[in-house]
Amino acid sequence: MEMAYYPGCSLKQSSSPYDVQSRRIFSELGVELIEIEDWNCCGATSAGKIDDFMAAAMPARNIGIAESQGFSEIVIPCSACYSRTLMAKKRLDEDPELKAEINGELSHKIKGSLKVSSILEVLINRIDAGEFTSKITHKFTNLKPVCYYGCMQTRFPDKLPVSDNVENPQAMETILKALGVRAIDWNYKTSCCGASAAVNDQEMAFDLMAKIAGDALERGANCLVTTCPMCQLNFDAHQNAFCEKHGIKDRLPIFFITEIIGAAMGISPEEIHADRRFVDGMDLLKELEQNERKEK
Amino acid sequence: MTAPLIEIQPELAKPFLQEVMERSGQLLTACYQCKRCAAGCPVGDETHFFTPNILIRAVALGDRETALNNELVWKCLSCYTCGTRCPNDIQTARITETLKKMSKEAGIKPLYPKVKEFHDAFLNCGVRWGRVNEVELMGVYELKNTIREAAAMNYKEIFNELRTQAKLGASMFKLNRMHFGFETSKGRKEIKALYKKAKEKKKAASSTGSV
Repeated sequence: MEMAYYPGCSLKQSSSPYDVQSRRIFSELGVELIEIEDWNCCGATSAGKIDDFMAAAMPARNIGIAESQGFSEIVIPCSACYSRTLMAKKRLDEDPELKAEINGELSHKIKGSLKVSSILEVLINRIDAGEFTSKITHKFTNLKPVCYYGCMQTRFPDKLPVSDNVENPQAMETILKALGVRAIDWNYKTSCCGASAAVNDQEMAFDLMAKIAGDALERGANCLVTTCPMCQLNFDAHQNAFCEKHGIKDRLPIFFITEIIGAAMGISPEEIHADRRFVDGMDLLKELEQNERKEK
Repeated sequence: MTAPLIEIQPELAKPFLQEVMERSGQLLTACYQCKRCAAGCPVGDETHFFTPNILIRAVALGDRETALNNELVWKCLSCYTCGTRCPNDIQTARITETLKKMSKEAGIKPLYPKVKEFHDAFLNCGVRWGRVNEVELMGVYELKNTIREAAAMNYKEIFNELRTQAKLGASMFKLNRMHFGFETSKGRKEIKALYKKAKEKKKAASSTGSV
């Protein structure tokens, strides 16, 4: 099966391991991700803060491209890109005038048939289709994760049907359960890490991140799993700084959900660039035992 | 610390409230000050008690000056927790986003200029090349920041900021998480045409007095 894929700017740069991992695990699951041609930046939250027209127009062009390439579904692993594209789609569906205005400048016009999916939605569909567990060859022996969704997986600026529980989402827990891992319940799974405040208001972002990481550690977690490249980079790159500021002694490796799945599929962590992180988590990814299921 | 006093300006209240409601698409008059937004706001600790419900009250009372430039407008992270929990479906983050734009149009110097500089730099980089390049974004942002601080002669501030970012950059480089190729999209011509259209729309709206 082929599916349209929008990596977004971050997966081409600082979070390129996430790009490698997404392609690899989806191909193991029988889904080939086809990067849409000549995509552009989705505008992220910045466009929404400066110009509403651009906030719809920038993701609109990508939607038009995916549709013209004949795709019915697009998967967007980055939470920010997913949220902005989904919002743009809603506005275009509801406002034909806006759609016509934007279409006027686009070479690939938007029709409105495309389904915008997050990486979690697609993975859950694979589990429901029964195409997941047969690919899992290894079992973790020492993984005690908390699942961190951040803001943009379940909360949107406008009313949208959300595929998961808004305040207590379960998609990542369900995926980990399929790997035989039990996630630890905690309080901060949809709290905000500060996002771009890590650049422009660092002290505030450090306080927010310390609260989140502090709760995870107090509950006995030894790692944090996320889908958002911005959350991953913030928690990973600034962890020493915010932990020192708030007197937190332990450290928490921050994993993308894709590297956890990859390791459980028996893929070497180095092969999917899981070693490119600030807070080392290689031991956890290598403490595996082979499943009996493989011999069957 | 207590919340700032809000000035009541009945004669100004109606048109201002109307404008904010129209542009943000939020029904501010539905707010009955239950403060669920305030309880959930992650930056509530940082805004000196200027919580979403107080912002709504400031707009409703016609205190334009307070509404356009306060801690919450510039510290709001657009995490949308307030709006998700509001019993009356008021998405206050859409209001802060709207007030940011109105504040810019009114030429008000933002309380936290770094926030504005970051988002401006982000959108400009995205429109210019079709994709945002992190190294360029940080360069443009730090340049804007440095020019402003230099004008105010805050040299220590500049030194600390650049030192922090250089340290982060060096460790990202070591982990191969800094990207040196340049990402562009050929479609940037279309993006630029759309941006031109956006600016024309804004101009037309401000000349007729309504948006």
